[in-house]
Amino acid sequence: MSASRLEAVTTQLAQAGECGIAPYVTAGDGGLERTLAVLQALEEAGAACVELGLPFSDPVADGPLLQAAALRSLEAGTTFEGVVDLIARYRSAGGALPILAFSYANPILSRGAEEACSRLAGAGADGLLIPDLPVEEQTCIAGAVQAADLASVFFVTPTTADARIVRAAELSRGFLYVIGRTGITGTRTELGREGSEFLARVRSLTTCPLGVGFGINGPAEVAAVAPHAQLAIVGSALVEHVHQAALAAAPDQDSDAVSARAAAHFLTHLREGLNP
Amino acid sequence: MSHERFERPTRFTAGADSFGGVFAPETLMDNLFALETAWIAAGEDESFNSELTRLLETYAGRPTPTYHARRLSEAWGVDLWLKREDLLHTGAHKLNNTLGQCLLARSMGKKRILAETGAGQHGVASATAAALLGLECVVYMGALDAARQAPNVERMRLLGAGVRIVEHGQRTLKDAINEALRAWVTDTEAHYVLGSALGPHPFPSIVAGYQEIIGHEARAQFLTAHGGLPDLAVACVGGGSNAIGLFRGFVDDAGVELVGVEAGGVGTEEGQHAARFKGGRPGVLHGCLSYLLQDEDGQVQATRSISAGLDYPSVGPEHAALRAAGRARYESATDEEALAGFKDLAAREGILAALESSHALGWVRREREALAGRSVLVNLSGRGDKDMATILEVLAPEQDGEGS
Repeated sequence: MSASRLEAVTTQLAQAGECGIAPYVTAGDGGLERTLAVLQALEEAGAACVELGLPFSDPVADGPLLQAAALRSLEAGTTFEGVVDLIARYRSAGGALPILAFSYANPILSRGAEEACSRLAGAGADGLLIPDLPVEEQTCIAGAVQAADLASVFFVTPTTADARIVRAAELSRGFLYVIGRTGITGTRTELGREGSEFLARVRSLTTCPLGVGFGINGPAEVAAVAPHAQLAIVGSALVEHVHQAALAAAPDQDSDAVSARAAAHFLTHLREGLNP
Repeated sequence: MSHERFERPTRFTAGADSFGGVFAPETLMDNLFALETAWIAAGEDESFNSELTRLLETYAGRPTPTYHARRLSEAWGVDLWLKREDLLHTGAHKLNNTLGQCLLARSMGKKRILAETGAGQHGVASATAAALLGLECVVYMGALDAARQAPNVERMRLLGAGVRIVEHGQRTLKDAINEALRAWVTDTEAHYVLGSALGPHPFPSIVAGYQEIIGHEARAQFLTAHGGLPDLAVACVGGGSNAIGLFRGFVDDAGVELVGVEAGGVGTEEGQHAARFKGGRPGVLHGCLSYLLQDEDGQVQATRSISAGLDYPSVGPEHAALRAAGRARYESATDEEALAGFKDLAAREGILAALESSHALGWVRREREALAGRSVLVNLSGRGDKDMATILEVLAPEQDGEGS
């Protein structure tokens, strides 16, 4: 399936004039078993696709909540091979959500982009997002993602020039990742007029489906982006919600199951913003 | 104003290999484009350059001397010369770069600068240049470094800078850079004054450009004093700004061997050193592709060095390219060897070197037999006052019964 699985979902949303929810999950936060349970719960609750974050020691584009999640995951012993295995298990258990692997450049490039992409795609990932790989460096992965049939997704922000937005959209498959506000992840929550104007500018420059993230916390923010986007991306808030739920689980409860239920509830809550 | 592309090469190449690049989040890209534009314009602006020269000469104390260390030469059997960057205002070469970058910040209309610091020298130099040029200054420093370089924390505060202590990760230079980069993303009024010749383009070129005055001065001074060129030019390498500053003065002189000395720490095992060229392989950290200490999964490894300024898992990309081209070689000196170099210089020449610079001395000392009779120019990149607490802690137990 690979890239086409993601494209099928975003194209269908675009044609129907709808927006879906794209949750971000840090792989291995609480252990890979928990991540598997959370992925399955998010699918059950109606996620459109999922961004699966491979933890990195120095996540320079992330705010404190996702930094902490990456650290927890690394401390739990998460490895690249472990994440590949997780994706394969999710697929073999019938998981059908498009999966975008979200990784900083080094874990991909140091392994060799071809090897990394082929392992991810072989396990059942559909796309690759690299937050510290702008279009200027896309040749580092272009051949590898193409050979593995992964969808490359690039980022644009309100400070991205028009010509670079067009270029990022041309290079992206599935959707273009639109960061609605300047800043690091999970620190701002309003879209505002500036954000709306920016989304309109992006829309005028490309027909590529848009995934919009800017620190979405709840249904109100989902409702704000839904008219402009095919995907509303939620990261920090979900990761923290699930983490807190696991911490609060009673000793006799299965904390993975508690986490999965919390993820599903949070996604269901967010979806209220799609049909206000 | 939004920008579309870089005007200058973003990579340092050596044959088929290339290092550097722009591995930065999209949220930083417009800052980087704007910085490159301002840097190119400043380079062509006579009034900018004459102002920088005026400050370097009348404020910072350039040119710094190139000193023939005769007593230590005699002791080691090596013809040893020192480029005295320790005599620059604030006590290290760092001010060359911060004066240049703070003038750049002012030319861009910025009100505030952000800086990271390891040993505290770049933080002090940033706070100094900011005070001089009327800019606000915020310095990010790892908690471990702040503890071992406490006098520099106080100096920064006295100079009017805010010091933000970083408690994440290893709590050293790497983590301070992470935090400073994050702050720069959200603070559009600020310029980020990166302190070493690393980071995404155009930083490695900007920093090296402001530091290469070290090598150009040293070359001219050495020629005048000695009548020829040195056999070797040696510098310690953390991020590598003092070393690239020295090397750029001699890179076209094929007869001058260029030697960078990394921190060998306390051992060759993972986590016990910061010798990137020995234990590392190419990887991306903080926006550039260079040699990186990392595990097989690409996670950045912990480093260890007695010297906060060398305690960093990656190295400036121009060094990686010089090495790949066979133009420079990179060696390492352990904590112990650096301390031996420090002690010999203090005892024979009356100079307390920074622990960073002591690594270059420590390597020369260790290799003194192989270097016998050859002329060696060492960049003494900083003074050691800031390291007194660390040095006393290590040396105090050794004092009794030590003959030499």
